[in-house]
Amino acid sequence: MSALIARVEKLAFAYPETSVAALTDISLELEGGEVVLVLGRSGSGKSTLLRALAGLVPHFHGGRFSGSVSVAGYDTRSTAPAALAGTVATLFQDPEDQIVFERVASEVAFGPENLGLQPGEVMKRVESSLAAVGAEHLLERTTRDLSGGELQRVCLASALALEPELLLLDEPTSQLDPEGAEAFLELVGRLARERGMAVVLSEQRPALPLEICDRVLFLERGRLLLDASHAQAVRWLEESAPDFVEPFEPVTRQVGDPGEVTCRIEGVGYAYRPATPVLENVSLEIRRGEIVALAGPNGSGKTTLAKLACGLLEAQEGRVERWGRASYLSQYPGRYVVCERAEDEVALGIGGDLSRARRWLDELGLGGSERRHPRDLSSGERERLGLATVLATEPDLLVLDEPTRGVDPGRKRELGELLQAGASGRATLLVSHDLAFARSIADRVVSLAKQEALVGA
Amino acid sequence: MELVVRPLVALALLGACVVAALVATHSLSLALLAAVLLALLLRAPWRRARLYLLGIVVSSFGLFLIWPLTAHVGSHPLWNGPILPVLGSIDVTSEELAAGAVQTLRLATVALAFAVWALRLDHDRIVREARLARRSVLTVALATRLIPTLERDAAGFVEALRGRGVAVEGVRGRSRLLAPLVASSLERALTLAESMEARGYGRSGRPLRARSRLNWRERAALAFSLLLVVISLLWL
Repeated sequence: MSALIARVEKLAFAYPETSVAALTDISLELEGGEVVLVLGRSGSGKSTLLRALAGLVPHFHGGRFSGSVSVAGYDTRSTAPAALAGTVATLFQDPEDQIVFERVASEVAFGPENLGLQPGEVMKRVESSLAAVGAEHLLERTTRDLSGGELQRVCLASALALEPELLLLDEPTSQLDPEGAEAFLELVGRLARERGMAVVLSEQRPALPLEICDRVLFLERGRLLLDASHAQAVRWLEESAPDFVEPFEPVTRQVGDPGEVTCRIEGVGYAYRPATPVLENVSLEIRRGEIVALAGPNGSGKTTLAKLACGLLEAQEGRVERWGRASYLSQYPGRYVVCERAEDEVALGIGGDLSRARRWLDELGLGGSERRHPRDLSSGERERLGLATVLATEPDLLVLDEPTRGVDPGRKRELGELLQAGASGRATLLVSHDLAFARSIADRVVSLAKQEALVGA
Repeated sequence: MELVVRPLVALALLGACVVAALVATHSLSLALLAAVLLALLLRAPWRRARLYLLGIVVSSFGLFLIWPLTAHVGSHPLWNGPILPVLGSIDVTSEELAAGAVQTLRLATVALAFAVWALRLDHDRIVREARLARRSVLTVALATRLIPTLERDAAGFVEALRGRGVAVEGVRGRSRLLAPLVASSLERALTLAESMEARGYGRSGRPLRARSRLNWRERAALAFSLLLVVISLLWL
């Protein structure tokens, strides 16, 4: 029988200045060597549960806390998160925001140094944890030059260097392409078994993590609805939350003949640095009424092509032609809000037309939030606000860069339906790592390979 | 590009330059200090150095323009302007121009020293080797990284707005981004603080690295730093 690593008893928690509980009556136990997948819709309390296990709730966030959480015998209420660091390690959602140092070696060494280890032991841990995640070649690199996938691995190495008994991963694959995500999750499963540590990971794309996990928790509005083994959980999900396990069914829509060309890209090339082209000789045509999905591994130039299509970048080689208005939704729309009210944020791109802005907020389920500050909205709501800001412009060419990042399956389905509903009046270019979603709503999926010509499918 | 002395020694040299810039009164000494620091800065990658240079040129030029208009010294007027309610007589004298040039060079030298610290020094090593005020050193290192982060964030805001068809032009357009940039930095800082705490930052008992002996270059550099401070106090 595996050792008990953590015990949560009747945990309830509410963030400061809110009346709604983020977690209610949660009880569970975690054993060494098991991989536990936490599922739930946006705002269901997944991240809060992970923070409670790390002691960050309530120590860092404040709020009302009741019940108990103990990890390796430490009561998290009386033990500060920093003191738990050798026992618990956390990988947060956005790796870019957790980087402290400029060099990979210093970054990975930060945790072991804080534990008070001697320099020789620190270096050993740095090298072994980078090797464990297949990133030993990054040791001397600077963190600002790493790709999203590389950064994710370095952050995982930083967590592993603490040699934790409990590893917490908050949506660790949200920035990775399918191959990268699969490799990452396989690695996590292997490390859990080899090192005997408990791993708790939350995910919005459950298909891959469901393959490697031993146990599944399902949260809804802060309550634990399910705590079951993998096999039992799959049966429960099929009955009670089918959108988490069923393949994403294509949304049926009447597809007529595509209309006129809205964007034509011919033989385009682009390089951010000399001699390292991101795109070479790429051609693509998008017509009104079409939804075209752009897929490909990290670093293949999908975002660059999307920006060229809508005019945010000028082609260095070849030609890009556009007819009508183009709008672009960036990868982190919730981060880039500039106004103090949600309705003003949407109205900004449509000449201050507040009634149209309110209509689009309503359309995206944000009715009632018109006068709220965008930064007071939840992360899911902010993503939808971002979508409203571009849909309200009623563009001829709509370009969406990873619109399903961090979006739960239910919201994803709604997004698919929304994009389908307005598809006939515009051309839509969708950049996505989420192939299931892309295939379900797109008329064509176009794959980009690294520095190679475009292949249509 | 490697420096020949360890970063802490380079930091001592930069500190001496800043002290010298603050106490020196001769424009020639200040110009010499600024030239040396500029030469050091120009050895950093151009795409990173240009933002700092732009900031230094704009702020220094601004100070040079404002100084003679707000100072009231000298008896050799070059231009007599109107009398304004709060500022008094707006005129420019040759003495004010000379004093403005000294202040401008002083500002430029201090800013150049900061730019050299930001772009040429290994902050990771400074944080790890610091034996005094390590938290403050880490805070300054993180704050230094804020500048490129702000630059990236600003580009993200401009792109997000252009993606909706909103042009960001002129001082007014860009000033609109100031508050969102600050808010975004604060959000980022919270995430970073949370991550640092989760990785044990703030625990006691962190051992100090073994102190390695200074080589002759480093000893010479430290002696020169001291000498520079003394010379600036006495003669510059």
